Amino acid sequence: MADGGAPASSSSLVEKQFEDFRLHLEESGSLRERIRAVAAEMESANRIMHSSLLLVHQSRSVPEVLEKAKGQIVVLKELFNRLAEILRECPGQHYRYHGDWKSETQTMISLLAFLHWLETGNLLMHHEAEEKLGLDASEFGPDIEDYLIGVCFMSNELPRYVVNQVTTGNYDCPRKVLKFLTDLHAAFRMLNLRNDFLRKKFDGMKYDLRRVEEVYYDVKIRGLTTNDDSTEDQGTTQA
Amino acid sequence: MDLQVLRWMGEAVERTTQGQNDKRERVVKASRDITINSKKVIFQVHRISKSNREEVLEKAEKDLAAVTDQYISRLVKELQGTDFWKLRRAYSPGVQEYVEAATFCKFCKTGTLLNLAEINASLLPINDPSLEPLQINVLDYLLGLADLTGELMRLAISRISDGELEYAEKICRFVRDIYRELTLLVPDMDENSDMKKKMETMLQSVVKIENADASNSWLTFLSKPSVCSSLQEQRLA
Repeated sequence: MADGGAPASSSSLVEKQFEDFRLHLEESGSLRERIRAVAAEMESANRIMHSSLLLVHQSRSVPEVLEKAKGQIVVLKELFNRLAEILRECPGQHYRYHGDWKSETQTMISLLAFLHWLETGNLLMHHEAEEKLGLDASEFGPDIEDYLIGVCFMSNELPRYVVNQVTTGNYDCPRKVLKFLTDLHAAFRMLNLRNDFLRKKFDGMKYDLRRVEEVYYDVKIRGLTTNDDSTEDQGTTQA
Repeated sequence: MDLQVLRWMGEAVERTTQGQNDKRERVVKASRDITINSKKVIFQVHRISKSNREEVLEKAEKDLAAVTDQYISRLVKELQGTDFWKLRRAYSPGVQEYVEAATFCKFCKTGTLLNLAEINASLLPINDPSLEPLQINVLDYLLGLADLTGELMRLAISRISDGELEYAEKICRFVRDIYRELTLLVPDMDENSDMKKKMETMLQSVVKIENADASNSWLTFLSKPSVCSSLQEQRLA
């Protein structure tokens, strides 16, 4: 009889523990759902920003395009702060849910970086991205890895931009883009990347570089580049 | 532009990739060591038989304590703060195996389930009090429990062949309980594809123990003198 009592009490203890687990998992499940809802909104904001940025390929004036795209930064800023708010509820568990907003962050970085480049001709730095989103780096910001992947995505956009700029008669564009991409590629090569998604994206960057090189070559061989800009380059090619 | 990119580079390298990759590798290595040594504990427990129970379990517990002190503590040193979740993939296999070994020992000793809270309490001494202590998360604990049922199945089979039928039945009840509880939890778990696979294996283990129990009680039934003689009579008739 004593034997019959023991398993009963131990199995009720078992039940108690699993009941706690269920509560815990349900809680984290609902948190995840809230995060996913924010991520979905980020995705649609990204989409709108992307579609307005795409107009640069149709030779619209850059300031006009930028103005429209920038409207979405406000939206994204609000969303990221909402995300940070949710994550404050589960300190230390940032990376448990990270997968749910990772790809949205990468796309967003690529758009912000492209926009920034169109505006200034420089690379959007990680801390600048944080500033744009109004985030405090010490608390919650885009992951460095997501940032780097986003930058790789941006490089994919450049060959097309170059071709379209040349079509509209901006023959100086290939030289500028080539310079930028060469520097960027060199910078990435110094990173010791592990064999993962970022590495694959970086490996793809050399094809962007090659396409831009080809466009630059075409422009140059036809003598379309303006002379004062190319003197320095001629020096290096002849050497 | 050049300068800016180079500065950015230095920053990025320092803050993530290199340091992070090295760390990840060290965590993977620690996890592997935990796995190997936890498996040794499990093998030790399988040596159990009617006669050497105390001795075997004592040795197993000592080995388990050694795993905690030597290998889990190494993991603790590597993981601090948010890295618990960031590097989870790197250490999860080791922690699951450790959970499996610890719960296996506990079941053989007392016939009860070692709770997550108890495991985590046992890890506190090896944590640096000034840092956030390493706590095994619910997911790894549950994945470890799923593996435990496989070991219990092997134990039940060997107990049956050793003639300890009651013990085997007790194992069977225990495994059924775990399976039932886990069934409720699977849908709520993060990234539960692993767990779904484990649930199938677990069901097979449950069925194997039940079958072994059943065929054994059938044999016991047949070997009863009254049954034996009646069968013989039938054959003679």
